[in-house]
Amino acid sequence: MTTTQELTLFLLKRVASSIFALIGVFIIVFLVSHALSPDPARLWAGPKAKPSTIYAVEVRYHLNQPYPTQFYYFVKDYLTGNFGIDPLTGKSIAGEIGYYLPNTLELVLASLVIIVVLGVFLGYISAINFGGYRDAAIRVFYLASWATPTYLGAMLAVLGFATYLKLFPSGGMYSPTLTPPPKVTGIFVLDSLISGNWADFSSGIYHLTLPALTLAFLNFGIITRVARSSILEARWSPHVKSAAAKGLPMRSIRVRHILRNGLIDVNTLGAVMFGWLLSGTVVVEQIFGWPGIGQFAYSAIAADNYPVLIPVVLVFTVGVIIANLVADLLYSVLDPRIRLGGGR
Amino acid sequence: MSPKNGISRALVVGLVVVIIVVAAIVGVTITRRTTPTSTSTTTQISPVSTQSSTSSSIQTSTSVSPPPTNQSSLVVEEGEQPDSLDPAVTYETPGWEVVEQVYQGLVAPNGTSVTSYVGVLAQNWSVSPNGMTYTFYLRKGVHFSNGDPFNAYVEWFSIYRTLIMNQAPSFILGQNLAYTNGVNFTVNASTLNSINYFDPSPQNLSVMEYPYQSVQVVGPYEIVFHLGYGYNGYSPYNAFLATLTTPMAYAVDPAVVEANGGVVANQTNSWMFSNMVGTGFYMLKSWIPGQSITLVKNPNYWADNLSASQLNYAIQPAIINTITIYYKPTTARIADLKSGVAQMIEAPVQDYSTLEGIPGINVTKLPIAFGSSEDIYYLYMDQGFAPFQNILVREAVSYAIDYQGLIKDVLGGLGVQYIGPVPPGFPFYTQATAGLQPYQYNATKAAELLAQAGYRATLPNGTVINPNGQQFPSFNLLYTSDSTTETEAAQIIQAELNAIGIPATATPLTFQQYSGLMYTVGNSTQYPMGIAFYSEDYTASIDYVEAITENGYVSTSAYLNSTIMNWAVEAATSFNNQTIAQAFANITRAMYDQYILIWLFTPYFLAIHADDVTGMIPNPAGSGMGYFMFYNTVHYT
Repeated sequence: MTTTQELTLFLLKRVASSIFALIGVFIIVFLVSHALSPDPARLWAGPKAKPSTIYAVEVRYHLNQPYPTQFYYFVKDYLTGNFGIDPLTGKSIAGEIGYYLPNTLELVLASLVIIVVLGVFLGYISAINFGGYRDAAIRVFYLASWATPTYLGAMLAVLGFATYLKLFPSGGMYSPTLTPPPKVTGIFVLDSLISGNWADFSSGIYHLTLPALTLAFLNFGIITRVARSSILEARWSPHVKSAAAKGLPMRSIRVRHILRNGLIDVNTLGAVMFGWLLSGTVVVEQIFGWPGIGQFAYSAIAADNYPVLIPVVLVFTVGVIIANLVADLLYSVLDPRIRLGGGR
Repeated sequence: MSPKNGISRALVVGLVVVIIVVAAIVGVTITRRTTPTSTSTTTQISPVSTQSSTSSSIQTSTSVSPPPTNQSSLVVEEGEQPDSLDPAVTYETPGWEVVEQVYQGLVAPNGTSVTSYVGVLAQNWSVSPNGMTYTFYLRKGVHFSNGDPFNAYVEWFSIYRTLIMNQAPSFILGQNLAYTNGVNFTVNASTLNSINYFDPSPQNLSVMEYPYQSVQVVGPYEIVFHLGYGYNGYSPYNAFLATLTTPMAYAVDPAVVEANGGVVANQTNSWMFSNMVGTGFYMLKSWIPGQSITLVKNPNYWADNLSASQLNYAIQPAIINTITIYYKPTTARIADLKSGVAQMIEAPVQDYSTLEGIPGINVTKLPIAFGSSEDIYYLYMDQGFAPFQNILVREAVSYAIDYQGLIKDVLGGLGVQYIGPVPPGFPFYTQATAGLQPYQYNATKAAELLAQAGYRATLPNGTVINPNGQQFPSFNLLYTSDSTTETEAAQIIQAELNAIGIPATATPLTFQQYSGLMYTVGNSTQYPMGIAFYSEDYTASIDYVEAITENGYVSTSAYLNSTIMNWAVEAATSFNNQTIAQAFANITRAMYDQYILIWLFTPYFLAIHADDVTGMIPNPAGSGMGYFMFYNTVHYT
């Protein structure tokens, strides 16, 4: 089998397993939202809904049909992008997700960049100084950040950098007195850059910095830890020793042989972390008043808004599945041993 | 080449990056620093008037002080963002707070009073002797922020729009008004969408001027409300003006609605959900969902050129130019108040001691009526659960709870024990509870009553009495884990009941599951006991009494008693204060003697703002920070 064939086969297997995971997600979400509640229409319509509203919900979501029929429409609706109308706002749920999701992407991407850069940098320093005081200091630092509860870390960031030092705003995505740029990507900073609106761009960066740094600080530890282990492993591997024995320059050995091999795990972990952050920013979004999908989900939970909650949960899970798929693919590209091993 | 050299280079590169980032941040920050405002005096907050009156007299104006200078902006922070900005849809305090600034109704509470009213879009009004007809004479020269005029046709449209959209809070009007007279006249969505409200045709007028309907236009500036078409049946309603102070009755621009989807029966309007065009002193500048709402002064406000003698507090032009309301968690709000980022915040009463210690901040414990308008807590015992059919058991439960201990432990002492269903601080509370003492804590008596009811019971000293009696069956005590107050109260009540031999198990549900169950008509076998609460829909004692005595929900023990319901009808329809007081007293006594609900406590409500912010006119009807109606009077000293 050629390398290309191996890769293709591996890809197909991974895509197939992702599809199975997606089917599983659909079944679980359906069971929780439709089958476990004795009267889902009443629950979905909200605590103070009138009988007419309850009936409308029942008809719209086929809740008066047998479960297999309900499941058919459930899957059909969501696969065709027919997320329905938010009963509280009267707006298209797909449109609402289209507003909130890019905001979360902005926060997640910004923090992911910081996480990877900071994580790898510190992991490298730590590994190179294995056993030394720098290594110990970095390990204490990342363990402390990693062990910090999100709520506490975010609150401390607000108190320290916004309340006392007044370096950043304590919340929000941009100044509410500004006019937002025309929507291109939905990501505020990017759209303001595309439209050349520097006031918006500056305000966007100013508001993004603290929540992104906070999210990064609370999550870079795992990258540092993995980068450190991988680099250490690579550092003591025979091919590195062999390269050194050949008299290759130390800089070349570090970059080409140690760092490059050490980053394989970081790449894949970064992709997984993207999915994790996507669905895990609720607390940070709440504390920083960041209008992201996590906060949207939180509001939907608080308002008993099942018609919104179901597609949001699906978006989260699809995000995680895709991130895992990307991680697998990256891993297989960067480390051929994976696909040669039969595509685990 | 030693590793040390490589490490040093890496550190140097890292250091350079850090320096660049810090320099950039400092640069951006320095260019964004603002000058903090100064602080000085404190705000005077008057207690709520408990004066009881159902007068139809005309209120003209309250004195309007000249606006101080330097009133550029105010930052306000609270926990929940609006559920909607459409006055016909919003049913939560944050939504009402914003709507009350941008839209206007016919009347508003008269300053701090909860029983008298001032005209807003109505210049004055009269009530027929039988209380069935309210005639409003509207102000002339009123217009929306886009210039469209307000008149009686627009008000007709606005009321019917609310009724036809039929959203959850529409019952506030639907008690007395309906879009059909049930015989030969019905207003539907297409009727509303087809009328020209600024230059009505004779055909349009024939519809709006038809006399046998809930809302009848008499002239361009005169409109009559005929009560008796709603689900209350043909009877007057002495809290009708209170219902008109709610957003349900606020004027919306028919042209704007028509241009953005029109009226659709039983449906919300997505444009109106997040856009606002009203007659009020503020306009919506932006709503960044999940972040903030910004209001700016309406530059085209109809009352801008009125003289001081023509104004009252509810219509006077706004003083502060921009109000931004951010939505954040409590800790972040307190931090922002402390740092001067926010000038007003909303915070639970449990944070009183923290807030009190912040210099430059005014924290006022408002009269208990404000707490009542927010929440009154009680314990229900569903009589579908056999043991609770025994009055001795219910009485035993009433003695088993240490009410003062609950208030101390759960609310830090900042609450009152009360006797419902009239909420403490509201009109007629004193008369309704005259001669009654709140339920007392007496664990010995509780155990004795339980034994008397035939159950094995335990005295506080551990002695088991009636050892051959039945073991009280175990059951779930429901509360919502979303509420800290309920969570803590449930644990304490569980322990106290267990102590006398009632094996209650405090069982939490999420608020969605909890509220879904609470508002179910009938009994609950799974949760025969639970902590429930009630918040006002409009500021009137009858709102609480009707909800608690008439609805038959799980949260009220599925309690339906025809005698009590008749008294409630009497209290709702009479214009004689003595009759109303007597009806409330009868209801209170009957429920008290039968231990139908165990009235627990009402927390106090806090007004929290920077010392230099003043002008708030507190009223339990208000949604501004939960305690005042309008931001137009707010300013800096």
